[in-house]
Amino acid sequence: MNDYDEKWEEQINALLDGELSDSNAEALKTQATDDRDLARAIIEAYQLQKAMSSVRVERAPDSLRKRLRAIPREYRPARTLRILQPRWVMAAAVVPLVLVVASLMQPDTPSAEEIEQARQDLAIAFAYLDRVGQFTGREIETTVGSTMSDAIAGSVIRNLKTQYETSKEKEA
Amino acid sequence: MKLQMLKTVLIGAFCALLSMPVLAQEDELKKLDGYIDFGDLSATYGEPSISINIGGTLLQFVGAMSESSDPEAAKIMSELKGVRVFGYPIERDPAVARDKFTEVKSTLKKKGWEPVVQINEDDEQVLIYMKLNESVMEGMTVMTVDDEEVMFINIIGKLDPRQIGKVMEGFDVHINGKVDVD
Repeated sequence: MNDYDEKWEEQINALLDGELSDSNAEALKTQATDDRDLARAIIEAYQLQKAMSSVRVERAPDSLRKRLRAIPREYRPARTLRILQPRWVMAAAVVPLVLVVASLMQPDTPSAEEIEQARQDLAIAFAYLDRVGQFTGREIETTVGSTMSDAIAGSVIRNLKTQYETSKEKEA
Repeated sequence: MKLQMLKTVLIGAFCALLSMPVLAQEDELKKLDGYIDFGDLSATYGEPSISINIGGTLLQFVGAMSESSDPEAAKIMSELKGVRVFGYPIERDPAVARDKFTEVKSTLKKKGWEPVVQINEDDEQVLIYMKLNESVMEGMTVMTVDDEEVMFINIIGKLDPRQIGKVMEGFDVHINGKVDVD
């Protein structure tokens, strides 16, 4: 179909649908008096429209219509509550996790009970250290006698003290 | 199926988050040079007879609370970053504890800790090691083992051993084989 045919076909369809303006309808009719092919095309289109309008549309039985209407419902995926969809469950679960993480990120402020427990634990730790210290002193005394013990234990303590004081000086 | 898996993952993540503070405290100490890993003897001896793990934050709080009543103890605590004590009753099989004792001693040497006291009696051994970094004390490890108990103590930070007695006065604790805290 060339451009010429397409143009007339559109005009003919518009004419039959009553959508062609009066001036264009008049121009089409004038053209058809000189153009036999166009005139035939208009007549054929008119006859086809008439024939189509006379065709009776058979209404489907109600039972069939009902079953056809039911098909989309039957094959529709089972609807879950919108809030139970995985993405929403995930989103809801993230909230407490975020809260826990946020609370963990807060600077630790131990409760009074925790501090008291830590104080007692610390006391026990130091008590064990003290016991080891006493045992060490006794062992040295037993092995080398009290005079030498003082010298050796004193030397150890002096050594520790020096290390401690040096580190303090370094820090200062 | 998908939801079940999601639920499992979320419960797992939640449990992991709950255990985070304890792990975080241990992890915080692990990064420090004065930290020593004593391993875990609970597979052989069951639950430890004593298990103490105090991190820097708690020590600062304990120190701050002692500030007015005992400034000296508070100062000592302010210089500590962690205190860890683990003890196990080992009557069942002292050999495993003695092996661990030797293993930790070897680790200490490898990591450049310096021995301060070593007592090797037939029935009891005591080791005190110090970790120094350019004369700055970063940690002290004390280990004792006899036929009944093995004890590992790890002090992270600075501690003047002569001041232990001073701190003890404030705490009023007595150890006579058993620990009594008043």
